[in-house]
Amino acid sequence: MMSWNLFILFALVAVALWAFGAFFAWKERPRLVYLFTLAGILVFFAFIVGMWITLERPPMRTMGETRLWYSFFLPVAGIIVYSRWRYKWILSFSTLLALVFICVNLFKPEIHSKSLMPALQSPWFAPHVIVYMFSYAMLGAATIMAVYMLLRKGNTTAAEINLTDNLVYVGLAFLTFGMLFGALWAKEAWGTYWAWDPKETWAAATWLCYLVYIHLRKARPAEWQDACVLLLVSFVCLQICWWGINYLPSARGLSVHTY
Amino acid sequence: MTEGFLIGGGLLLAGVLLRKVAGPIDWSVFAWPVNLIVLILLVAGIGVMYALRRRVYAFEWMMHSSAAVPCLLYAAVLTIVMGLLPQVRSGGIPWLSQMLTFWPFVLIWAWMMVISALAALNHLLRWKVREIPFILNHLGVVVAIVAATLGNADTRSLQMTVFSGSPEWRAVDDEGMVQEPGLAIELHKFTMEEYPDHSPKRFASDISVYTEAGQSVQGVVEVNKPLKVNGWKIYQYGYDSSRGAESEYSVFQLVHDPWIFWVYLGIFMMIAGAVCLMLFMAPKPVR
Repeated sequence: MMSWNLFILFALVAVALWAFGAFFAWKERPRLVYLFTLAGILVFFAFIVGMWITLERPPMRTMGETRLWYSFFLPVAGIIVYSRWRYKWILSFSTLLALVFICVNLFKPEIHSKSLMPALQSPWFAPHVIVYMFSYAMLGAATIMAVYMLLRKGNTTAAEINLTDNLVYVGLAFLTFGMLFGALWAKEAWGTYWAWDPKETWAAATWLCYLVYIHLRKARPAEWQDACVLLLVSFVCLQICWWGINYLPSARGLSVHTY
Repeated sequence: MTEGFLIGGGLLLAGVLLRKVAGPIDWSVFAWPVNLIVLILLVAGIGVMYALRRRVYAFEWMMHSSAAVPCLLYAAVLTIVMGLLPQVRSGGIPWLSQMLTFWPFVLIWAWMMVISALAALNHLLRWKVREIPFILNHLGVVVAIVAATLGNADTRSLQMTVFSGSPEWRAVDDEGMVQEPGLAIELHKFTMEEYPDHSPKRFASDISVYTEAGQSVQGVVEVNKPLKVNGWKIYQYGYDSSRGAESEYSVFQLVHDPWIFWVYLGIFMMIAGAVCLMLFMAPKPVR
């Protein structure tokens, strides 16, 4: 039986393993990097699977449960980026960010084991949430890159811009999957694929912002600083879409997405 | 890109004037066959623009990503405004609380469809296998959004309350008007399971559906599992919540959406396009 009381245990072990992985990235020991990071990912995933079995439903219902997936996908995104670009610092960043979300879950749980209402009992539920969380992790990493590049202004390399573009392409692809899986699911659950529910409106706004980024990079490759600023704005939209909407007066009580 | 910002500004201005003169957009006007005529005009217009691209600089320019940037930016800002302000049927903040019938919003989205379609056509006619990702993304979004928008007026959504033991053929629309969808539903049994905290776990209706042509279909309808009969999709919508499992009636939503095939086609093109976006369109890694 898995429970939230055991979370701190799994989280500590996972974060320790990720920290070792990040440490060996600085020491340029790739094999140890993969070993420790993947071990951490496995430990963390074991907790998620355990919760899934115990709750008898996918742990994606509450904000706390979605943060669980986010903390899981950050090191996944980190190790993918590391394997292709060999940035020494990327795993330190992803570990730190995952730790932040783990701490939020430890100190402000919002994890009360809610039951799963009929509308959420669908084969679309898991893919819809998982691809969104993976996308959020990718786009979060892109945001960190944008901040990093804006702060270092003159010293930005082509490789850094290239990495940021790649993170956005993959993030946007998964954002599109999430949105369209949601539309297909909505049609089965409510009879409409798109109803301009506040969550959907913000999903559309976020999607458009990242599309501006991609087209701007194509049209004006030299103006990467504008593109970086755009990434910051886009990430704000994404945060509003994910959780900010619960605090927006325009969306309160209107959204079918408030859980 | 300055041209793009000027065109967008012009569309906003034109939209505001239209809103003042013609009022909000009445989407029901687009009911069949008007939507078909609009679609033909749209396709013809795009074809003409494409044919004249060498003579009219603006048409050539519209296919380029520098035309897309201002257009997408305007669309993003208007969509953000829509997300920030409460959207209500009437009242609220003038014009902006009814964004979906607000001309500037619709004109900007329409412009987006036109330039995306032009760009897709441009890549389609220079056919090469490596153009497929671009075409899927740009054509997919146009097919899905144009079909969804033009088809909206043809969509019928009705609610039918059926008491067990007495077949029902009347339903009500959004305005509360009684409508006959052309099929009758008989409720055999309504079942409901609850969680220990008495919140609903599962509710379902065992029904028979009879069509005017004399066809009859038996099936179970539950949330996330609609039943398709004669062009209608029947959804489990509600029940007598004060009586829960003892409810003597079940409420169904009946949806008829003749354009759905095209919307799905667009959505599947976009999903395939997104796969290509990450596999083939992302720039090659540079170390």
